[in-house]
Amino acid sequence: MTLPLIEHRIRWSGLLIACGLVIQMITLIWVHPLAFMAFLLLGCPLVGIGILLFLYSIVTPEATYRD
Amino acid sequence: MELNSNTAALILIFFTAIVVVLGLLIAVRPELTRARGGKMLAFVALCILPVLAVWAGGNEHLQRSTSTQFCLSCHVMADYGKSLYLDDKSYIPAVHFQNSLVPRDHACFTCHTDYTMFGDVHAKWRGLHHVYVQYLGKIPKPENIKLYTPFNNRECLHCHSGMRAYEEASSHRKTPQQLTQMATNQLSCMSSDCHDIVHEVGNWGDATFWTPKQETK
Repeated sequence: MTLPLIEHRIRWSGLLIACGLVIQMITLIWVHPLAFMAFLLLGCPLVGIGILLFLYSIVTPEATYRD
Repeated sequence: MELNSNTAALILIFFTAIVVVLGLLIAVRPELTRARGGKMLAFVALCILPVLAVWAGGNEHLQRSTSTQFCLSCHVMADYGKSLYLDDKSYIPAVHFQNSLVPRDHACFTCHTDYTMFGDVHAKWRGLHHVYVQYLGKIPKPENIKLYTPFNNRECLHCHSGMRAYEEASSHRKTPQQLTQMATNQLSCMSSDCHDIVHEVGNWGDATFWTPKQETK
Protein backbone atom coordinates (compact mmCIF):
# COMPACT_ATOMS: atom_id res chain seq x y z
CA MET A 1 0.00 0.00 0.00
CA THR A 2 1.44 3.38 -1.00
CA LEU A 3 1.20 6.04 1.66
CA PRO A 4 0.55 9.70 0.87
CA LEU A 5 3.72 11.76 1.05
CA ILE A 6 2.72 13.44 4.31
CA GLU A 7 2.16 10.09 6.02
CA HIS A 8 5.42 8.78 4.65
CA ARG A 9 7.24 11.74 6.19
CA ILE A 10 5.34 11.40 9.47
CA ARG A 11 6.32 7.73 9.60
CA TRP A 12 9.99 8.65 9.20
CA SER A 13 9.61 11.43 11.72
CA GLY A 14 8.17 9.02 14.29
CA LEU A 15 10.93 6.51 13.67
CA LEU A 16 13.70 9.10 13.99
CA ILE A 17 12.23 10.51 17.19
CA ALA A 18 11.76 7.04 18.67
CA CYS A 19 15.37 6.10 17.81
CA GLY A 20 16.70 9.31 19.34
CA LEU A 21 14.69 8.84 22.50
CA VAL A 22 15.73 5.19 22.84
CA ILE A 23 19.36 6.39 22.70
CA GLN A 24 18.51 8.98 25.35
CA MET A 25 16.99 6.27 27.58
CA ILE A 26 20.10 4.13 27.26
CA THR A 27 22.37 7.07 28.10
CA LEU A 28 20.33 7.80 31.22
CA ILE A 29 21.24 4.41 32.64
CA TRP A 30 24.97 5.22 32.64
CA VAL A 31 26.76 8.05 34.48
CA HIS A 32 29.75 8.57 32.21
CA PRO A 33 31.08 11.25 29.83
CA LEU A 34 30.48 8.92 26.87
CA ALA A 35 26.80 8.67 27.82
CA PHE A 36 26.63 12.46 27.76
CA MET A 37 28.36 12.56 24.37
CA ALA A 38 26.03 9.89 22.95
CA PHE A 39 23.05 11.89 24.16
CA LEU A 40 24.46 15.09 22.69
CA LEU A 41 25.78 13.76 19.38
CA LEU A 42 23.32 10.93 18.59
CA GLY A 43 20.12 11.29 20.58
CA CYS A 44 19.58 15.03 20.23
CA PRO A 45 20.24 15.23 16.47
CA LEU A 46 17.92 12.28 15.71
CA VAL A 47 15.08 13.77 17.76
CA GLY A 48 15.77 17.23 16.30
CA ILE A 49 15.70 15.96 12.71
CA GLY A 50 12.53 13.98 13.46
CA ILE A 51 10.75 17.02 14.87
CA LEU A 52 11.87 19.21 11.96
CA LEU A 53 10.74 16.58 9.47
CA PHE A 54 7.33 16.42 11.16
CA LEU A 55 6.99 20.21 11.13
CA TYR A 56 8.13 20.30 7.50
CA SER A 57 5.61 17.63 6.58
CA ILE A 58 2.68 19.56 8.01
CA VAL A 59 3.58 22.91 6.47
CA THR A 60 4.53 21.72 2.97
CA PRO A 61 1.62 22.41 0.59
CA GLU A 62 2.23 19.45 -1.74
CA ALA A 63 2.10 17.06 1.17
CA THR A 64 -1.31 18.07 2.52
CA TYR A 65 -4.22 15.68 2.42
CA ARG A 66 -6.57 15.81 -0.54
CA ASP A 67 -10.27 15.01 -0.25
CA MET B 1 10.68 17.80 48.38
CA GLU B 2 13.88 16.99 46.54
CA LEU B 3 13.83 13.88 44.43
CA ASN B 4 16.65 11.39 44.71
CA SER B 5 18.73 11.49 41.52
CA ASN B 6 17.99 7.83 40.74
CA THR B 7 14.27 8.35 41.21
CA ALA B 8 14.33 11.37 38.91
CA ALA B 9 16.22 9.36 36.29
CA LEU B 10 13.73 6.48 36.53
CA ILE B 11 10.79 8.85 36.14
CA LEU B 12 12.51 10.41 33.14
CA ILE B 13 13.23 7.02 31.56
CA PHE B 14 9.58 6.03 32.08
CA PHE B 15 8.37 9.30 30.55
CA THR B 16 10.75 8.88 27.60
CA ALA B 17 9.51 5.32 27.09
CA ILE B 18 5.92 6.59 26.85
CA VAL B 19 6.98 9.17 24.24
CA VAL B 20 8.81 6.42 22.31
CA VAL B 21 5.67 4.28 22.30
CA LEU B 22 3.55 7.19 21.09
CA GLY B 23 6.13 8.02 18.39
CA LEU B 24 6.20 4.42 17.21
CA LEU B 25 2.39 4.30 17.23
CA ILE B 26 2.31 7.24 14.83
CA ALA B 27 5.14 5.72 12.78
CA VAL B 28 3.37 2.36 12.45
CA ARG B 29 -0.09 3.85 11.87
CA PRO B 30 0.47 7.21 10.14
CA GLU B 31 -3.05 6.99 8.74
CA LEU B 32 -4.24 7.93 12.24
CA THR B 33 -3.31 11.50 11.34
CA ARG B 34 -6.13 11.65 8.78
CA ALA B 35 -8.60 12.31 11.58
CA ARG B 36 -8.60 15.54 13.59
CA GLY B 37 -7.82 13.71 16.84
CA GLY B 38 -4.97 11.88 15.15
CA LYS B 39 -3.45 15.15 13.95
CA MET B 40 -3.52 16.49 17.49
CA LEU B 41 -2.02 13.26 18.82
CA ALA B 42 0.76 13.43 16.21
CA PHE B 43 1.56 17.02 17.10
CA VAL B 44 1.79 16.17 20.79
CA ALA B 45 3.68 12.89 20.24
CA LEU B 46 6.09 14.11 17.57
CA CYS B 47 6.67 17.68 18.64
CA ILE B 48 5.71 18.71 22.16
CA LEU B 49 6.57 15.55 24.11
CA PRO B 50 9.95 14.91 22.39
CA VAL B 51 11.01 18.50 23.08
CA LEU B 52 10.05 18.04 26.73
CA ALA B 53 11.84 14.68 26.92
CA VAL B 54 15.05 16.01 25.39
CA TRP B 55 14.98 19.12 27.57
CA ALA B 56 14.53 16.97 30.69
CA GLY B 57 17.19 14.50 29.50
CA GLY B 58 19.66 17.31 28.83
CA ASN B 59 18.96 18.77 32.23
CA GLU B 60 19.56 15.40 33.88
CA HIS B 61 22.81 14.91 31.96
CA LEU B 62 24.04 18.38 32.87
CA GLN B 63 23.22 17.69 36.50
CA ARG B 64 25.07 14.38 36.36
CA SER B 65 28.09 16.01 34.77
CA THR B 66 28.63 17.90 38.02
CA SER B 67 28.82 14.71 40.09
CA THR B 68 32.00 13.34 41.62
CA GLN B 69 31.28 9.95 40.04
CA PHE B 70 31.18 11.58 36.60
CA CYS B 71 34.47 13.44 37.07
CA LEU B 72 36.24 10.35 38.35
CA SER B 73 34.92 8.06 35.62
CA CYS B 74 38.06 8.71 33.56
CA HIS B 75 40.90 6.50 34.78
CA VAL B 76 43.41 9.34 34.80
CA MET B 77 41.40 11.10 37.53
CA ALA B 78 41.41 8.11 39.89
CA ASP B 79 44.29 9.44 42.02
CA TYR B 80 42.56 12.80 42.35
CA GLY B 81 39.55 10.96 43.73
CA LYS B 82 41.83 9.01 46.07
CA SER B 83 43.35 12.26 47.32
CA LEU B 84 39.98 13.15 48.82
CA TYR B 85 40.49 10.31 51.31
CA LEU B 86 44.01 11.27 52.44
CA ASP B 87 44.17 11.10 56.22
CA ASP B 88 46.02 14.38 56.60
CA LYS B 89 44.45 17.71 57.55
CA SER B 90 46.98 19.70 55.55
CA TYR B 91 45.40 18.55 52.28
CA ILE B 92 42.70 21.12 51.49
CA PRO B 93 40.54 18.93 49.19
CA ALA B 94 40.61 16.05 51.68
CA VAL B 95 39.57 18.28 54.58
CA HIS B 96 36.72 19.76 52.58
CA PHE B 97 35.53 16.37 51.36
CA GLN B 98 35.82 14.44 54.62
CA ASN B 99 34.16 17.14 56.72
CA SER B 100 31.36 17.67 54.21
CA LEU B 101 32.41 21.29 53.66
CA VAL B 102 31.55 20.51 50.04
CA PRO B 103 28.78 18.10 49.02
CA ARG B 104 30.59 14.78 48.59
CA ASP B 105 28.62 13.77 45.52
CA HIS B 106 29.55 17.06 43.80
CA ALA B 107 32.97 17.59 45.36
CA CYS B 108 35.07 18.24 42.22
CA PHE B 109 32.56 20.59 40.62
CA THR B 110 31.99 22.63 43.78
CA CYS B 111 35.62 23.80 43.87
CA HIS B 112 36.52 23.62 40.19
CA THR B 113 33.66 25.47 38.54
CA ASP B 114 33.91 29.22 37.95
CA TYR B 115 31.32 31.08 39.97
CA THR B 116 30.62 33.52 37.18
CA MET B 117 27.71 34.03 34.80
CA PHE B 118 29.17 31.67 32.19
CA GLY B 119 31.22 29.54 34.57
CA ASP B 120 29.16 26.43 33.93
CA VAL B 121 29.42 26.92 30.17
CA HIS B 122 33.21 27.22 30.42
CA ALA B 123 33.33 24.13 32.63
CA LYS B 124 31.29 22.14 30.08
CA TRP B 125 33.43 23.38 27.21
CA ARG B 126 36.57 22.28 29.04
CA GLY B 127 34.83 18.99 29.80
CA LEU B 128 34.29 18.37 26.07
CA HIS B 129 38.00 18.98 25.55
CA HIS B 130 38.77 16.48 28.32
CA VAL B 131 36.62 13.84 26.61
CA TYR B 132 38.46 14.51 23.35
CA VAL B 133 41.83 14.08 25.05
CA GLN B 134 40.66 10.96 26.88
CA TYR B 135 39.56 9.11 23.75
CA LEU B 136 41.39 10.74 20.84
CA GLY B 137 44.32 12.60 22.30
CA LYS B 138 47.40 11.88 24.39
CA ILE B 139 46.42 11.33 28.00
CA PRO B 140 48.83 13.07 30.38
CA LYS B 141 50.16 11.45 33.52
CA PRO B 142 47.96 12.27 36.52
CA GLU B 143 50.74 14.27 38.21
CA ASN B 144 51.14 16.38 35.07
CA ILE B 145 47.54 17.56 35.03
CA LYS B 146 47.46 21.26 35.85
CA LEU B 147 44.77 23.90 36.15
CA TYR B 148 44.18 26.03 33.05
CA THR B 149 44.56 29.18 35.11
CA PRO B 150 45.71 29.79 38.69
CA PHE B 151 42.98 29.00 41.19
CA ASN B 152 40.88 32.10 41.72
CA ASN B 153 40.00 33.11 45.31
CA ARG B 154 36.49 33.77 44.04
CA GLU B 155 35.85 30.02 44.07
CA CYS B 156 36.92 29.76 47.75
CA LEU B 157 35.06 32.90 48.77
CA HIS B 158 31.87 31.67 47.15
CA CYS B 159 31.45 29.70 50.40
CA HIS B 160 33.94 31.27 52.81
CA SER B 161 33.08 34.91 52.33
CA GLY B 162 31.14 36.14 55.33
CA MET B 163 32.08 33.12 57.46
CA ARG B 164 33.06 34.12 60.97
CA ALA B 165 35.84 31.53 61.09
CA TYR B 166 37.28 32.94 57.88
CA GLU B 167 36.97 36.64 58.70
CA GLU B 168 38.14 36.41 62.31
CA ALA B 169 41.04 34.02 61.77
CA SER B 170 44.27 35.71 62.89
CA SER B 171 46.05 34.25 59.87
CA HIS B 172 43.64 36.20 57.66
CA ARG B 173 44.25 39.46 59.55
CA LYS B 174 48.01 39.73 59.54
CA THR B 175 47.66 43.12 57.86
CA PRO B 176 44.63 45.47 57.78
CA GLN B 177 44.37 45.04 54.00
CA GLN B 178 44.65 41.27 53.93
CA LEU B 179 40.94 40.44 53.67
CA THR B 180 40.53 43.01 50.90
CA GLN B 181 43.56 41.66 49.07
CA MET B 182 42.15 38.16 49.26
CA ALA B 183 38.71 39.31 48.15
CA THR B 184 40.22 40.98 45.09
CA ASN B 185 42.47 37.99 44.31
CA GLN B 186 45.65 40.02 44.84
CA LEU B 187 46.71 37.59 47.54
CA SER B 188 45.98 34.02 46.57
CA CYS B 189 44.62 31.58 49.12
CA MET B 190 46.50 28.80 47.34
CA SER B 191 49.88 30.16 46.39
CA SER B 192 50.88 32.21 49.40
CA ASP B 193 52.18 29.39 51.59
CA CYS B 194 48.85 29.28 53.37
CA HIS B 195 46.59 26.68 51.74
CA ASP B 196 48.92 25.46 49.03
CA ILE B 197 48.73 21.73 49.72
CA VAL B 198 46.05 20.43 47.42
CA HIS B 199 45.81 17.06 45.62
CA GLU B 200 49.60 16.61 45.33
CA VAL B 201 49.14 13.48 43.22
CA GLY B 202 52.38 11.52 42.99
CA ASN B 203 53.83 13.04 46.17
CA TRP B 204 51.98 11.18 48.88
CA GLY B 205 54.84 9.04 50.11
CA ASP B 206 53.50 6.59 52.69
CA ALA B 207 50.25 8.44 53.25
CA THR B 208 47.31 6.78 54.97
CA PHE B 209 43.73 7.04 53.88
CA TRP B 210 40.46 7.70 55.67
CA THR B 211 37.77 5.04 55.44
CA PRO B 212 34.29 6.46 55.92
CA LYS B 213 32.00 4.55 58.24
CA GLN B 214 28.83 3.16 56.73
CA GLU B 215 26.11 5.78 56.88
CA THR B 216 23.14 4.85 59.03
CA LYS B 217 19.67 5.94 57.98
